[in-house]
Amino acid sequence: MPAVLGFEGSANKIGVGVVRDGKVLANPRRTYVTPPGTGFLPGDTARHHRAVILDLLQEALMEAGLTSQDIDCIAYTKGPGMGAPLVSVAVVARTVAQLWNKPLLGVNHCIGHIEMGRLITGATSPTVLYVSGGNTQVIAYSERRYRIFGETIDIAVGNCLDRFARVLKISNDPSPGYNIEQMAKRGKKLVELPYTVKGMDVSFSGILSFIEDVAQRMLATGECTPEDLCFSLQETVFAMLVEITERAMAHCGSHEALIVGGVGCNMRLQEMMETMCQERGARLFATDERFCIDNGAMIAQAGWEMFRAGHRTPLSESGVTQRYRTDEVEVTWRD
Amino acid sequence: ALDVPFPSTLEAEIARGSLAPDAEPHRGAVRKELTVSGSLLAVRWRAEDSRLLRISIVNFLDQLALVMRTLQRFGPPVSR
Repeated sequence: MPAVLGFEGSANKIGVGVVRDGKVLANPRRTYVTPPGTGFLPGDTARHHRAVILDLLQEALMEAGLTSQDIDCIAYTKGPGMGAPLVSVAVVARTVAQLWNKPLLGVNHCIGHIEMGRLITGATSPTVLYVSGGNTQVIAYSERRYRIFGETIDIAVGNCLDRFARVLKISNDPSPGYNIEQMAKRGKKLVELPYTVKGMDVSFSGILSFIEDVAQRMLATGECTPEDLCFSLQETVFAMLVEITERAMAHCGSHEALIVGGVGCNMRLQEMMETMCQERGARLFATDERFCIDNGAMIAQAGWEMFRAGHRTPLSESGVTQRYRTDEVEVTWRD
Repeated sequence: ALDVPFPSTLEAEIARGSLAPDAEPHRGAVRKELTVSGSLLAVRWRAEDSRLLRISIVNFLDQLALVMRTLQRFGPPVSR
């Protein structure tokens, strides 16, 4: 029964988690929140992570009731993500792995989300919609790879939402996406926005440019409210995501859908996906904000699977990487 | 050039193991070499661009400080 320690810090959330045999024993996390109208920059984010990571590590061990001796493997996010934050977390993982003489495992962040989604929901072989501030992909497992069936050709859907929040100076606490969701509930008017599905893929940068422009004009004339814009943006981008997920499900003959990633917390997205799934006789799975938002336990869980399947990351190969495709990893722990 | 003292050779090697694997950004503009001699971690930089060199050094010092805090708080190394 291996116990795995997992470190995650690829964006503005830093988390340290402990997982043993499918049980999350600890999962503390901190978020670096910037003032309204701004986004998080790599250097500042890394500084934040460096300031809190050792406290989080201590918290995780205490919450799990374990000592360093009880840990069998140290997992950390190898990528993808932002450079300086990834490095700040990786150096701590490498240091404790060497201090405690434990094997090290570099984990793909996207696979962390998928493996935690599978663990928490019990979905067997779902079509996965992975949506966050940094990633937007439709993924399905086939023959030892998590294959990307569709993805954004430019920015992630969460990035589109976060950058729109900056234009309206919406608070980033607890996250811009959460605040957009609350405002959208009070929206009444649907403003027509470009709808940019490209076959199996999606595009968001054009919608962002358009809505940034519209926001300036329409708010000045009072033609619509910020709530209307939040509502319209969500309805448009979420419909696009539902469409490409459905397309992949149709191709795979899939009866299960799983939403992972920070944007997956959005109840409106879950509602729209549920409608589509019901129409197809499929089942929708989603996790709560403890696990859909970046966290350490998801890295520990993916690490646990990898560790049991015999994966190891030698120090010399443990460098972080900002680009790391989900299908680059050989998923030897599934058949 | 920088020489960082550690309490033991093992800890200097652990620091090297933690700080060496990540590639420098801007592919090849700045080169960094980490070696251990005795209980010293020796760092040597080579660069054409002084701004990039300054950035590399500042970032390195930040990560080095984190490694040292980690060693202090979660060390000493277990016997092997």
